[in-house]
Formats: sequence, structure tokens, C-alpha cells
Amino acid sequence: MKPVDDDAPPGSPAESLELIQRGRVAAARTVALNPLLYYLPWGLAWLIGFGLLFLRYGPHGRVFVRLPDWLPLVSLFSLMALAMVSTAVISAQRGRHIEGRSSWQGSAYGFAWFLAFAGVGSTMPRFADLLPEPERGLLWASVSVGTTAVMYMAGSAIWMSRDMFVLGAWLTVINIIGVYAGPGWHSLLVSVGGGGGLCLLGIVVWLRMKVALR
Amino acid sequence: MTDLDPVIHAQARLRIMAALSSLGDDDRMTFPHLQQILDMTAGNLSVHLTKLEQAGYVEVAKSFRGRTPTTSAGLTRRGRVAFDDYTAAVRALIDPPKEP
Repeated sequence: MKPVDDDAPPGSPAESLELIQRGRVAAARTVALNPLLYYLPWGLAWLIGFGLLFLRYGPHGRVFVRLPDWLPLVSLFSLMALAMVSTAVISAQRGRHIEGRSSWQGSAYGFAWFLAFAGVGSTMPRFADLLPEPERGLLWASVSVGTTAVMYMAGSAIWMSRDMFVLGAWLTVINIIGVYAGPGWHSLLVSVGGGGGLCLLGIVVWLRMKVALR
Repeated sequence: MTDLDPVIHAQARLRIMAALSSLGDDDRMTFPHLQQILDMTAGNLSVHLTKLEQAGYVEVAKSFRGRTPTTSAGLTRRGRVAFDDYTAAVRALIDPPKEP
């Protein structure tokens, strides 16, 4: 084999593999979204927000902790707003350095989330107002969690991610069980199963990435 | 190490190919970012990208983001195959397949 220029060849096959690994590690931090920043903020928002909803508005009108009426929803929406900012920032950072197919996929997927929830937000009030207070909350929460689950499953098809499909399917299952169990229980299931599931997935994917990039 | 692709079997180009192989199909990385993560000078990176482009392994695209011109590079299908073949050949040298 004749070198094509003065760029020295690696000294051994082991050095070649080391250079390959170094190149991949350097790029991976740009290519892959940080799973802790992607999943954990959403997981914590659901864990805390729906957890407070359960404590304040428990099953059959039970109040486990006397919190101000406004606190659970304000906490949930504030934490979700922070999670949205976190997702937008890390997606934009990636988009600055990568062009091509995945850039388009990311933009389309982001807009799909926005449009999906614009649809939920604009159609739900028309029907929610016809229901008693507890069922109204359950309808909002279950349709929102169901939409989120579907978006994750759609995301799995775009990003070829089995983890995202498992997450979406898991959220669908706990959402259905929660709706059957009724108001209050649904909040508990979404808090522990949904929020906890999102946190767990973020940590597992992060640990897996750490091992792969070692 | 006589059968290895001489275009890829060079330290700088191997690192470039490895970094670009982490991208998805039809994706490209911007030139300044590639330069930054590989810690190479612009001139050096440019020279090696040109060599890889001439071999048909890398596609360099120029576009505009707003009014700012950007250059980006990604592997071609041929480049990805060549890189996979190279990696397999190196692994085989380290751990030769056992004779039946």
C-alpha cells in the first residue's frame, strides 16, 4: 500500500481503531441529543406536576395534602414550559451543526408536536366544559398524555428508536388504565409511571451512551 | 497492513471519516464544527476533505443560512461502504477470523 500524501498512516491496527473511536466520540456529542437534557426535564415535570395534582385532587375528591388550589396546575405548566425550553435549546444546538435529512426530520417532528397540541388545546375546551370538574381534568390529562404517547411512537419510526416506541406504548397503557381507574388515580399513574418512566429512560439511555463512547 | 485503503489509512483522514460516519445517511456536518471537534486547522481539514471528495467518499456542499454561506461535509454511500470495509479489515488484522 502506497501512501497518497504525507499524512502519516496509523502505526498499527490498534491505533487505527483508537483513531476511529476518537473520531466517533468527538462527533457523537454533537449528533446525539443528551438524553438527560431531553427526557429528564419532562420526567420531572410530570412526576412533580401530576404528583401534586394527585395529592390535592385525589380519587373521589380526597385531599391528601391541603395545597392551594392553583399550585398543582401552575407547577405542572411551569415545569413543562422549562422542559420545552430545554428541548428547544438542545435541538437548536444540534441543528446548528448538522444539515441534511435529520435536520428536516427534526424540524418536521418539532412542528408536529406543536400542531398536535394546538389541535388538542383548541378542540378540548368545546367538550371539556360539558363535564363535571373531575372528569374535565381527566379528559384534558388523558388526551394530552395519549397524544404525547402517539408522538413518541411516531418518533420511534422517524429516529429508528426502540426506546421511544417502548416509552410511547408504556404511556398508552398507563393512560388507558388511569382513565378506567378514574380521576386522581390517573394523576398518580402518570406521575409515577409516566414521569418516573421518562426519568428512568433518560438515565438508561445516558448510561448506555457513556458505555458505548468509553 | 497492505490491503487497507490508502485514502482512508492516514491519521487525519481516518478521524474525519470516523466522525462523519457517526452522522445519519444524507446528513452533513458544518465545516467549522468538524474543524472544532477534530481540533484541526481549516487549511489541513480542507486539504483532506478535498482528497476524500476526489476519492468519492465525501460530499462537500455549500449553502446559505440566511445570508451566511456555510460549507458542510458528509459521507457518500461509497464512502460509508469504504469506511465499513476499512474498519472490518482493521478488526480482522487484530482478531483474524478462525479457520474452520
